[in-house]
Amino acid sequence: MKSPFHSLRWKLQAWHALVLLLVITGFCLAVHGLAWTHQLKRLDRAVVLRERELFGALLEANRPPAPPVQPPEGEAPAKPRHSPQYLHTLLEEGRLQVPAALLQSFSGTEPGYSYFILCSISSGREVRSPNLLGGPALPKVVPNGTVQDEFRTTDSGAREHVLMSPSGAVLIVGRDATPERDEMRVFAWSLAAAGLATWLAGLLGGWWIAGRAIRPISQISATASRISEGNLRERIPPAEVDNELAALGRVLNSTFERLGASLEMQRQFTADASHELRTPVTILLNETQRMLKRERTPEEYQESLRLCEEATRRMRRLVEDLLVLARQEAATTLTGAATCDLAELARASVSQHRPLAEARRITFEEALAPALCRGEAGDLAILLNNLVSNAIHHQQDGGWVKVTCGTDEAGVFLSVEDRGPGIPESEQARVFERFYRLDKARNQTGGHSGLGLAIARNIAQRHGGRLVVSNVEPTGARFTLHLPVAR
Amino acid sequence: MRLLVIEDDPILQRSLSATLRDEGYAVDTAGDGAEGLRKAREGGHDVILLDVMMPVMDGWAVLAALRPSCVTPVLMLTARDAVGDRVTGLDLGADDYLVKPFDSEELLARVRALIRRAAGKASPRVELGEVSLDTAARRVLLRGEEVPLTAREYSLFEYLALHRGTVVSRTELYDHLFGEDDDTMSNLLDVHVSNLRRKLGHESIRTRRGHGYCIE
Repeated sequence: MKSPFHSLRWKLQAWHALVLLLVITGFCLAVHGLAWTHQLKRLDRAVVLRERELFGALLEANRPPAPPVQPPEGEAPAKPRHSPQYLHTLLEEGRLQVPAALLQSFSGTEPGYSYFILCSISSGREVRSPNLLGGPALPKVVPNGTVQDEFRTTDSGAREHVLMSPSGAVLIVGRDATPERDEMRVFAWSLAAAGLATWLAGLLGGWWIAGRAIRPISQISATASRISEGNLRERIPPAEVDNELAALGRVLNSTFERLGASLEMQRQFTADASHELRTPVTILLNETQRMLKRERTPEEYQESLRLCEEATRRMRRLVEDLLVLARQEAATTLTGAATCDLAELARASVSQHRPLAEARRITFEEALAPALCRGEAGDLAILLNNLVSNAIHHQQDGGWVKVTCGTDEAGVFLSVEDRGPGIPESEQARVFERFYRLDKARNQTGGHSGLGLAIARNIAQRHGGRLVVSNVEPTGARFTLHLPVAR
Repeated sequence: MRLLVIEDDPILQRSLSATLRDEGYAVDTAGDGAEGLRKAREGGHDVILLDVMMPVMDGWAVLAALRPSCVTPVLMLTARDAVGDRVTGLDLGADDYLVKPFDSEELLARVRALIRRAAGKASPRVELGEVSLDTAARRVLLRGEEVPLTAREYSLFEYLALHRGTVVSRTELYDHLFGEDDDTMSNLLDVHVSNLRRKLGHESIRTRRGHGYCIE
């Protein structure tokens, strides 16, 4: 990795840190908010308590006179009019008595002091506590017949309860909230500290967990590098738990399996090819050295050169077939495809092999129905020639070769049948392998390189079809080519 | 000397046989392992050249079946050159191993070495008094001067020289000098012996009546 910031673990950790930070911050803010709300409620209760004290004292000090008339018999005496309206009236008239004790109780200035102000908007008369500095903001609300009642926080950090009667009397009782504020500040800092500690703990935990999660990936990566650099037989050990990493391990293992098999096939192929070439080269070497050793008769030279030619032909055949096979395998798509008729190709192949067949008294039987397919005529001709030539080669003199073609429900087909010994079931799958011969002999008569069927099958596959083999009764083998029908 | 070539590739078989016959060896051939085993068991060969990759029965199977009853030296010829294969071959009883493609000169030299070793001779030269035999150069010297011999004469003399001190029966000589394809006439051997006596001296080859010939 180029920089540590590209590391998966770092990225994971960074995102984790960010998310955790947001979550913890949000949580702390919420807690702080709740705590502050709680504090305000407490403050408000304290304010209300003081307000009641105030009312109680004022009403006590400003008791209305006894009612002038006696109520009739049986009725309760009229209640004294202890209402704020009454107090407002008194205030308006300037007759409101404010007990000194009351004023005293509202005179503290240490943090957490309470204050009040009672005034009339219309007349401007007011009574205020001694410790009230400056004028509180008076509500600018037009009296509209209902009582205004609200709690509010002032700019100076005090909590006030504002009461306003419809007649324009305003009572404000407030309390300095400095202690509470200080408390909240301390609380906020502690909360921040705790949040930070939690965040760091979360980071450490996350780092540890990420490490545990990443470790299998690093292991797999290390094993995979080892395998691809050297020992292709090694495999990633299966995980104990069947999770995503186990799936990754399995995929890599199967890839290595295929890679190993492919390299093995290549190695086998190279070994086989060089092996095949050794004998012809030995013949050439031996013959030429022998001829050069001393003076020979022209007949001897000719005989020797004939042997050399035969060996060279064999090598040429091998080299050509190897090149064909390599070209086949390199190309994955058909180029130059056209519509071909298998029947025509079959007829051409048969007539090409007729001289050879006649020399061995082998007859041809043909049952050729038109079979149109899409492909490269040259390659299909090679395929057919290989099949026909094999059929002639692998049987005794006096046999026959039957070529059939036509269409069936799956597409078009062409089959080449011989009256040879057939192919044992156990060998049928392997007979298409390169250089594979049934009896492991190197019987090189007829100039066969051992690649004919491998090439034929390759051509069939490239054309989107397949080549299969089966035995026929009483003896013989049948090779059948299946191709998709031309559209 | 008589050799057996067991090789399934017909062209290579012909080529090898021609090369060996050129050198004066009598050569028998076999085209597969079973035939080779049969001929080898009949005996009479001085070296067996054995191909490994053959149909029906491969070279190693032949070797395993041949040993221990037959002690004829075996030179394996093969395209397989992996060390494991060489070890297997030698352990199964082969005496030498040649990888294709090989030089014909190397082949001939190894055959000569195997013949020499089988006769218990370390050096290619055999001294017989005034006559000396150089098995590597395939010539005979009388008092230091080369004596021209036909291939058959040389083979006969070489065989007797390598079996010096033992009496070699006529049958054995026939077996080792003439291949199965040769016409054998019983007095051909006598003709060769008398020719050799004429060229190398009467005492060079002794006759043991009823038993055979020997060089002392």
